[in-house]
Amino acid sequence: MTLNIDEEQDVSVTKGMIRAEFNFWVGIVMDKFYDGLQEKKFIGTKCSKCGKVFLPPRNRCGDCFAKAEDFIDLPETGILKNFTVTTYKISERKTRNVKKDQIVGLVQIDGADSAMVVPVININPEDLKIGMKLKVVWAKNIKGDPNDIAGFEPIGGV
Amino acid sequence: MDKVAIVGFYQVKPGLDLMMSPYEMLFEATRGALDHAGLKRDDLSTVIGCNNDYYDGKTISNCFKVEAGGAYMKDESKVEMDGAHAVMYGLMRILSGNHKLAMVYGISAPSCFPYESVRILETDPTFDRPINLLNGYTAGGMQMRAYLNAFGLSEEDIAKVAVYNLKNAAKNPLAIPEAQKTNITVDEVLNSEMLSAPLKKLMYPILCDGVTALILAPERQARKITDKPVWITGVGHFNDTYYLGDRDLSSCSSMEKAAEKAYKIAGINNPKSEINVAELFGHTACEDLILAEAAGLADKGKGLSLIDTGKLNPSGGTMAGYTPAANGLTRIVEAVKQIRGEAEGHQISGANKAIASGQVGFCAQNNIVYVLEGGE
Repeated sequence: MTLNIDEEQDVSVTKGMIRAEFNFWVGIVMDKFYDGLQEKKFIGTKCSKCGKVFLPPRNRCGDCFAKAEDFIDLPETGILKNFTVTTYKISERKTRNVKKDQIVGLVQIDGADSAMVVPVININPEDLKIGMKLKVVWAKNIKGDPNDIAGFEPIGGV
Repeated sequence: MDKVAIVGFYQVKPGLDLMMSPYEMLFEATRGALDHAGLKRDDLSTVIGCNNDYYDGKTISNCFKVEAGGAYMKDESKVEMDGAHAVMYGLMRILSGNHKLAMVYGISAPSCFPYESVRILETDPTFDRPINLLNGYTAGGMQMRAYLNAFGLSEEDIAKVAVYNLKNAAKNPLAIPEAQKTNITVDEVLNSEMLSAPLKKLMYPILCDGVTALILAPERQARKITDKPVWITGVGHFNDTYYLGDRDLSSCSSMEKAAEKAYKIAGINNPKSEINVAELFGHTACEDLILAEAAGLADKGKGLSLIDTGKLNPSGGTMAGYTPAANGLTRIVEAVKQIRGEAEGHQISGANKAIASGQVGFCAQNNIVYVLEGGE
């Protein structure tokens, strides 16, 4: 769906470029989550009312309209709730077909009630099955941010 | 609810690149809507626009649209969602009793910006954005897989919906030529490029420049302006959570709630039999079915049956041309045309009660539904 401006067209184009960098205050619970990643650990939050466990964490439960600030350590394993396979990469500038499969999964960590959009790796797309068990693979260089999750791979191979 | 009608409308014929500045496009739409209703700019008491700053590359982007939008020295405001949400704002202004005529428009020119890229700004900056795997393609792919798995359906079933939409687009004079495919086959859709499995390219709409405008009036004014007022008899607007991992993507809870509310206000008890036309803003051919089922037009998993009745998106829906910020407004205008008996080439005979919807967010997080009716 991306269109490129054809330089041959008889139109004047002005870029009007500015570059403004934003900082986002990640909040107390995401800060804790990032700290957990630094130690190769998943830290979620639990709703004080219904007990639902969120990962990535959230500080409020929408359903109960209650605080979800109790931290809970979660394991490195989970299940594949849903997935898609795409050769497209959408970057801040354009949409490109990189001609290489990327598997995107919705992974629900054991003990959590929500799921994360993360890469699924070390598996052929045709072997993917909803409900299969997965384990996190940590990045080589840990920085304390979401890209510390290199991806999730099947437990014990396929 | 007091009666408010749509008394005039205009859709600029969309295109991949209209080779016009947004203001030229906008002026054609607002001038067109006024002419259609036989009104002058002076008659307007308020103007509500819909244009997203991150689609425009300008903040407070409505400040540049004052003149072309017909809002010079008038009560004016903007909604940053979908044009269908701007109609809600206009409706509320009229229902307040303080406004007589509201112009509502939705506009964007995606030939000038990388639409799928700027949607990265819709993702959670603390998690999804740094990972950068959640986007319009992957969300659509996961949603389609959830829907197929939940109801034991096949990719072919969704290809049938795409064929239906593209054939309908061929009958809609305001569809973009690239979407008008009279002879398209299910195999062609299935053999089109994979965007994000199982979502194929021909199940995904084509992005284009476009503007749609309409004029709202309270009952007394509406009856003076036109002998074919189309009444807004119900509206519902609900928001689900952002997180895809919290939602059942095979259905759409916010659409269910929004439709339920709109039906309740309009006094509709059995949408399956009472609604003759539904113009719904789905982001993919699959989402069209999910939204139609959520609106109670078919049982869950049975939305495909609607393509036999023809009452779902007779215009081709967004598959006839996807115009960000104007999509929902175009759906409303299409439903209005059906009720007025003016849907040239794609008229559903006897249409008198319709629904139209708009949305924002991945996998239709937020939905707004209108019930529209003709007659007295």
